[in-house]
Amino acid sequence: MSHGASSWPRAALVVSSGLVAALLAGLPAIAAPATPDIPVLVPVTGFLAAEGASQRNGALLALQNPPAGVQPRFAVTDTGTSPEGAVNALERALSDGDVTAVVASMLGTQMLAMLPIALEHKVPLTTMSGTADITRKGNPYVFRFFPADSVVKGAQVRYAIEADHIKAPAVIYQTTAYGQSGHAEILKALDAAGIKPVFEDALDVSVKDMQPVLAKAKAAGADSLLLQLHGGPTALFLKAAASMNVGLPIIAGSGLAQPSTVALLDPAEIKGACAETGASPVSAETPAMQGFLDRYRAAFHTDPDGFALGQYDATMMVLDAVAHGATDAAGVTKALSTESYQGLAMTYKSDGHGDMAHSAVIICYDGKSHIPAIVKHYDFPIAAP
Amino acid sequence: MAASQLLLEVLALGAAYALVALGFVLILNATGAVNFSQGDMVMAGGFGAVVLANALHVPGLVLLPLLLVGMAALGVVVAVAAYLPLRRRPPDAVFISTIAVGIILQNAANHLFGAEPMAAPPLLSAGRVRFAGIEVSIQSLAIIGVAALLIVGLQVLFVHTQFGRRLRATAQDREVAMAIGIPVDRMVVVTFAIGAALAGAAGLLLANAFFVTPTAGADYMVKAYIAVVIGGWGSIPGAVAGALLIAAFEVLYPSLPLLIPALLRMPQSDAVFSQTTSTIMLDVAVLIILVARPGGLFGEAVRQRP
Repeated sequence: MSHGASSWPRAALVVSSGLVAALLAGLPAIAAPATPDIPVLVPVTGFLAAEGASQRNGALLALQNPPAGVQPRFAVTDTGTSPEGAVNALERALSDGDVTAVVASMLGTQMLAMLPIALEHKVPLTTMSGTADITRKGNPYVFRFFPADSVVKGAQVRYAIEADHIKAPAVIYQTTAYGQSGHAEILKALDAAGIKPVFEDALDVSVKDMQPVLAKAKAAGADSLLLQLHGGPTALFLKAAASMNVGLPIIAGSGLAQPSTVALLDPAEIKGACAETGASPVSAETPAMQGFLDRYRAAFHTDPDGFALGQYDATMMVLDAVAHGATDAAGVTKALSTESYQGLAMTYKSDGHGDMAHSAVIICYDGKSHIPAIVKHYDFPIAAP
Repeated sequence: MAASQLLLEVLALGAAYALVALGFVLILNATGAVNFSQGDMVMAGGFGAVVLANALHVPGLVLLPLLLVGMAALGVVVAVAAYLPLRRRPPDAVFISTIAVGIILQNAANHLFGAEPMAAPPLLSAGRVRFAGIEVSIQSLAIIGVAALLIVGLQVLFVHTQFGRRLRATAQDREVAMAIGIPVDRMVVVTFAIGAALAGAAGLLLANAFFVTPTAGADYMVKAYIAVVIGGWGSIPGAVAGALLIAAFEVLYPSLPLLIPALLRMPQSDAVFSQTTSTIMLDVAVLIILVARPGGLFGEAVRQRP
């Protein structure tokens, strides 16, 4: 009896414990937040410091405002502008632990040096680099969130033809890799339209006086000026064109879409000038873009450019993948390779080579303010891999 | 474009480059060592002008004296920190230390002002005027005037004052200058101050039309070096001539088809008279000068060339 009397409460205890366990198992688990490791390796000193700082700021804004359930770990490392600086930064970041994805330099030469390391460690790199080669190496770990030159230069030429009916353009470009790559794409787009430039000139970044090249373009009979110049030289060119009262339509590269370039010029000096770019966050075309603009200004006390927005979208796509269960580098790589993502600037989807951005906009200045209006959107079909 | 208009642009650009080259030569003569931070001093002068303009809201011409004083003080700091401790070491030690100064200035500017280009105020005002039948920018005329005043002032200081004679004596032979009681170290510090002030003036003049960034100094350094090689290592008139020649190649050479329209019909005219070709032609001209006149156009005042 005593045995029977004492076994009853024990049986009750066993049964109730089982019930509690069953109940607990049935309850939704309180998940620990995902903590992806996303180092930011960008050039914030040297000749690309302005663009690199934009890239860093865009990444930071995303990392500091992640989706629910994601708490990214991140640190910013300055890569400088040498390939060795980028390689050292990447190797150091990878040696610290399990890296989920990397915000990688927008400098093409640095990206080319980092690609083999990313391949070896199977870690995805997101970048804003425009260098064509980085997505032509067959490396499945590189993802470019800024439209390739074929996209933005295609938009630049199409707009010049549609809006300004150009027939005899002058093409002025920089001698750098950026300038030459864009120049080749401009010529390709012009050739496709049966147009031959009447004047071409390549400018070193140290060229100060733009009057001779402008005068020669005009003397050659140019009916328009297509530019592929960095930000500073773009400002020098526009300043000279305004002072010479050139009177030709100017359709510039993305240098003229950077707020820092425009800040160097009086609104009257850029009246009527247009430019291609991936995105123009300062134009605040949508409420979501206005929200981004407000948050960016509050955080960094400056205006964002297309690089900042592109890197923000890239980082948010990585964080979104983590929020949807991609907990490691392999999972994020798979998501970036196969999923599409609606960012603030555009919809991103890999073309199979890592090129994610396939849209461009044309912005124009009205001569009254430094804020451009978006006058045209161009969406290009995603090329087959 | 009229030839006279182009010549005026050459003079304006050359005058600003001449200030950079003069500061470089003065320090070279006084120390026998190359000051590789001279280009970054120009950059520092440009940012100094931006800061002063934002604080005082006055034209560049009013800022110039303040900037000269501020930059002279920076020159003293550089002399005390990067030259005096190494003055008994081989000249290589000084040029390494001035490279370090340049890197520090560049990174300090990047930290303080960010990497984006900034513009200094014009000396008088923006805009263009008709002058002697041609249309020129007011800034270009003002640059020529200010640079000419500074160069003439420097000439008066060096040739017609006791202080200038002491500076020249120090530059010509330190040992003898010391033996006759000239405070050589003090003279070198003053030379650094003058060199930095000239760089600051160039920074103000150039940062209006051509903007300033933390990395702009390297380009000015190369131009100063080429100007001094062309003109004669250590020669003051040579530095001015070299600077004008560089400006001529930058502005005049690419414009030749405008001055001689027949050149426009030449095959590959775009490529032959491009800005890139003008840089190549300048380098070829330097090589020819070095072969034909190894001492430069005006002969060498300093024998050892690093």
